[in-house]
Amino acid sequence: MMQDPSNLLVLALILPVAGLLLTLVMGGRYAGRITLLLAPVGLAVAAALVVSVIHTDDALIYYLGGWIPPLGVALRADGLSAIFILTTAVVIGATGIFARAEFCVPPGQPESRISLTFWALLLTLWGALNLVFLSNDLFSLFVALELLTFSAIPLVCLNGSAGMLAAGLRYLLFALLGSVLYLLGAVLLYGAYGTLDIGLLAERVRPEPVAWAAAALMTVGLMAKTALFPLHFWLPPAHAGAPAAASAVLSALVIKASLFLIVRLWFDVMPALMNPTAAQILATLGAAAILFGSVLALRQARLKLLIAYSTVAQIGYLFLIFPLITRPESVSFAAADLSTELVAAVVSTSAWSGGVLQAVSHAFAKAAMFMAAGLIAQSLGHDRIADLSSIGRALPITVLAFALAGMSLMGLPPSGGFAAKWLLLTATIETGQWWWALVILGGGLLTGSYLFRVLAPALFGARESVALRVPVARYREVVVLALALCSVLLGFVRLGAFDLVQIGRLAKAGMGLP
Amino acid sequence: MISTGMLLLIALATPFALLLACGSRTLRDRMPALLVFAPLPALATALLAVNSPPLVFDEARLHITFVLDGPGAILLGVAALLWSVAGLYVATYLRGQPNLGRFSIYWLLTLTGSLGVFVTADLFTFYLAFAMVSLAAYGLVVFDGTPKARRAGIIYLVLALLGEIFLLMGFVLLAAAAPGDSLVIRDAVAALPASPWRDPTLALLIAGFGLKMGLVPLHVWLPIAHPAAPMPASAVLSGAIIKAGVIGLIRFLPFDVPLLEWGVALTAIGLFTAFYSVLIGITQLNPKTVLAYSSVSQMGVVATVIGMGLAAGQTSAVMATVFYAAHHLLAKGALFLAVGVVAATGPRRLWWVLAPAAILALGVGGLPLTGGALAKLAVKPVLGDGLVELLATLSAIGTTLLMLHFLHRLAANAAPALSASVPVGLVLPWMLMFVAAIVVPWTLYSMTGIGRYDEALQPKILWAALWPILIGAGLALALWRWGRYLPQIPEGDIVVVGQPALRVVVRCEDALARVEGVLRQWPAASLSLLVLMLILGGAMFSGH
Amino acid sequence: MISTTTLFGLSSAVLIGLGLFGMIVDPQPLRKILAFNLLGGGVFLLFGVIARRGAGAGLGGDPVPQALVITGLVVAFAATALAVALLLRLFQATGQTALDEAPPPAPSVDP
Repeated sequence: MMQDPSNLLVLALILPVAGLLLTLVMGGRYAGRITLLLAPVGLAVAAALVVSVIHTDDALIYYLGGWIPPLGVALRADGLSAIFILTTAVVIGATGIFARAEFCVPPGQPESRISLTFWALLLTLWGALNLVFLSNDLFSLFVALELLTFSAIPLVCLNGSAGMLAAGLRYLLFALLGSVLYLLGAVLLYGAYGTLDIGLLAERVRPEPVAWAAAALMTVGLMAKTALFPLHFWLPPAHAGAPAAASAVLSALVIKASLFLIVRLWFDVMPALMNPTAAQILATLGAAAILFGSVLALRQARLKLLIAYSTVAQIGYLFLIFPLITRPESVSFAAADLSTELVAAVVSTSAWSGGVLQAVSHAFAKAAMFMAAGLIAQSLGHDRIADLSSIGRALPITVLAFALAGMSLMGLPPSGGFAAKWLLLTATIETGQWWWALVILGGGLLTGSYLFRVLAPALFGARESVALRVPVARYREVVVLALALCSVLLGFVRLGAFDLVQIGRLAKAGMGLP
Repeated sequence: MISTGMLLLIALATPFALLLACGSRTLRDRMPALLVFAPLPALATALLAVNSPPLVFDEARLHITFVLDGPGAILLGVAALLWSVAGLYVATYLRGQPNLGRFSIYWLLTLTGSLGVFVTADLFTFYLAFAMVSLAAYGLVVFDGTPKARRAGIIYLVLALLGEIFLLMGFVLLAAAAPGDSLVIRDAVAALPASPWRDPTLALLIAGFGLKMGLVPLHVWLPIAHPAAPMPASAVLSGAIIKAGVIGLIRFLPFDVPLLEWGVALTAIGLFTAFYSVLIGITQLNPKTVLAYSSVSQMGVVATVIGMGLAAGQTSAVMATVFYAAHHLLAKGALFLAVGVVAATGPRRLWWVLAPAAILALGVGGLPLTGGALAKLAVKPVLGDGLVELLATLSAIGTTLLMLHFLHRLAANAAPALSASVPVGLVLPWMLMFVAAIVVPWTLYSMTGIGRYDEALQPKILWAALWPILIGAGLALALWRWGRYLPQIPEGDIVVVGQPALRVVVRCEDALARVEGVLRQWPAASLSLLVLMLILGGAMFSGH
Repeated sequence: MISTTTLFGLSSAVLIGLGLFGMIVDPQPLRKILAFNLLGGGVFLLFGVIARRGAGAGLGGDPVPQALVITGLVVAFAATALAVALLLRLFQATGQTALDEAPPPAPSVDP
């Protein structure tokens, strides 16, 4: 079985599905244990996947049933997918351990429906995410995205309160609107080019109106699911109201999946199509997201809402990579002695690596933050920012984790966020688009200000002691700290490891115009 | 036998290890007594490991390099000395205060960064150390927990972050112009004069490091933060921490190529800073604030020296600057400690404390036979014989005036009880620092080859140092006589413009929040979905 | 004379337009769900048209879109079921189905 590394792709999909089936058969009492047993296996599979992608130095492909596209359906893992699958495995594993206290049925107590639901949804979510990262045709991707939405929304309204039901319904309806637009675009592409396979489409797509229409439809549909400003309205109530473990997964992973797909579309499916203006528009929306998200985060009274708005802002950074990758032709410095091809490769590498590093370190940091907020809310009985004075005294590890994650969000060295910003800034310089550098740097200052609102009272509050209503299990604090440390330590895995991003890319130089 | 490179690593690892030890509550409670030992390995390193080969970790991937060259070693040594003595002071000064464990944590963090900036030789690690010393010092500034301290903390943090941003962009520009993907500072700086982004890079670097040094108009945090911090923290802030900016300018400006315009600009900023802060400083009543303004003024002189060196392409400016900065570090550290000592001393014993303080204070103005006179002598060749030299001499007059004003305010700040006496835990560190501020410059003067004793002791030279002091003293008499007519200027002078600016920011925030409130309605959001689709499609259509 | 493909294509465009209109304008969640189905129907019809058009070369129809439409219908069905279930729960909890705008988070009072 393990002789052929492409079997790993199937394994990455089968594991969560098998866990799900087992959970449904054995019931909620065992659900948590099944997930916790599967998590390390999934992590090992993901790690093996990364290693074999690096080892073969090319994408791994698995043809389902041996049928080759356009007739068959393929799974494909390039460096980008491998990184996201590994990130997913880590975050899901950490979430599983974290959620044990809340959702595992203690021995001797009656089995609760909420427990079964949570673990089943978590496994579905995991499978759906892996499917998004591995699918190689637009229709499977549609199905995977829908599966993701259908597992994410019940997680949002797990507690069944009216407010959360409404938030979930709004999320669902808007996500559905987005997926219909995506599907419409995919249909148009099929009509024009007769295939939905990403590899084949990449060869066939030509710059013409139908392709443009499809690209616009799909991009905007996916933007709605990513909650890019101004399509973010559903995110803050949904992410802030969900249970902490769910919020962590939603903010860290789920929104990244649709973003991943936009990146796939732009740079793998239709590299010939994208032009600088469109890329600038996407980045402008990203800049607006940073501004609005941060300012709104600054004004929230509740910690979880602040973190949710911070997600809105951080998504903005990820959209800044589009002009940084698509505009090699406007390299401003004297490139006379370098071939333009070489320059283009340099540009795309730092923007790509920066973007991916930003996504991954944000995933770890945001998961850690939501979990930390969950622990704080649980132990205090509230998450009002105004009343968090000196909480660092009572929950030192949790607050340390929050601070470390915040460091990464702000881009302070040596965190992953810092390395990402460094790479993105380098890309802005190399492509001569200094205005995006201003956005990146200003965003860091804004991030600093909203985190300051939480951390300054938490760390420097005057209260001598804080009474906790509920004690917090040490192992949960340690999980949160581990996630935050992952985000910080990513800063040391600089340039080198993120060359992985480039492995197996369909269009190597990546950018648009020939 | 430990290699000298290892010594360098131990120097940084010791405070960090103590920091980790703070994880245990018992150790954390004892930490204030151990602070004195944390910088000692760094002191030993500075003495033993000068000019040892650089210590490189995984050149290809991690790009982490440490190096201890002459300038770095001098500043590392004196900074470690101050940190150690100030640590000794902490143990007595803050005894019995709440939150001491917290104080130790931020002290050690700041210490690690402060020592780190002197020995790191690559962009990444330097930035890390710089960020550490800048941001962790926030914890020292707000330690008192008073509203005043919190306000000072916010202003400090905002400006520190601004500085970080300037530097980050500057470093990215430096790295982009550096050959290959080397992140070694020396390579990057060597490529700077030919960089296509030379001017923005220099502007950002000077702004970032100038902010840390307190060059006008980015000095506002300094006279606000220094008085707010507890005494030993002020000492290291004003002595060691602002030297991170000095070492930054030294490391990152290319002195081997003359950059006339930039040199002149930096000189002008420096001279303006030197005079401006004297003028503001003499209106201040709190002795710590006066000292803070004096630090700003002295950093103005340092910037002037660096600027002249840069304009002429003199590499000798580096050593001169470092020597000047080292003396300031020791003297200013000692003077801040003196403020605490005097505040606990009753009038009966006051003169025993005030006399050494006076020697140090006038030393900063260049009193003959003190380290300050040597420092002024060391920078003389860099300043030349022209206008700048004259202005620098005038600034010495100003400094004398400011320091005499400080002594006046210091004496007024003594303990009211007639025979109150200072605990030995405060006097001892202070005396140590006083001796160090006199002896170390004399030792370094010949050791580093900046000058010779017989030259420094010529009557002509002594007179040249003395007359500005006498004029300054005359002015000080005038200040005492008529000083009450001076206007009252708040600490941080131009910080007052922050208030209306803040109101504008708040109004903008309100407007943004209102817009977001509209966009969060379902119809608005789904309409913007359609509009975005049309815009994107249109953009792609028109782009071809 | 309009060909059948054109006719069906136009109908699908009308359905998509109606669906979009409903999704955007209608405040009632139930009607939004219906509008979503209308919209989905339009997209599937379009897919059918494409299958038909691809069959010009003598085949009865391109089989791939038909397979995909069936899958799509299942997905749309699941989505509708989930949405209706949520709506029912909401009705049980609050006694109404109007999807009110969540109250804007109270702005904090910053100095």
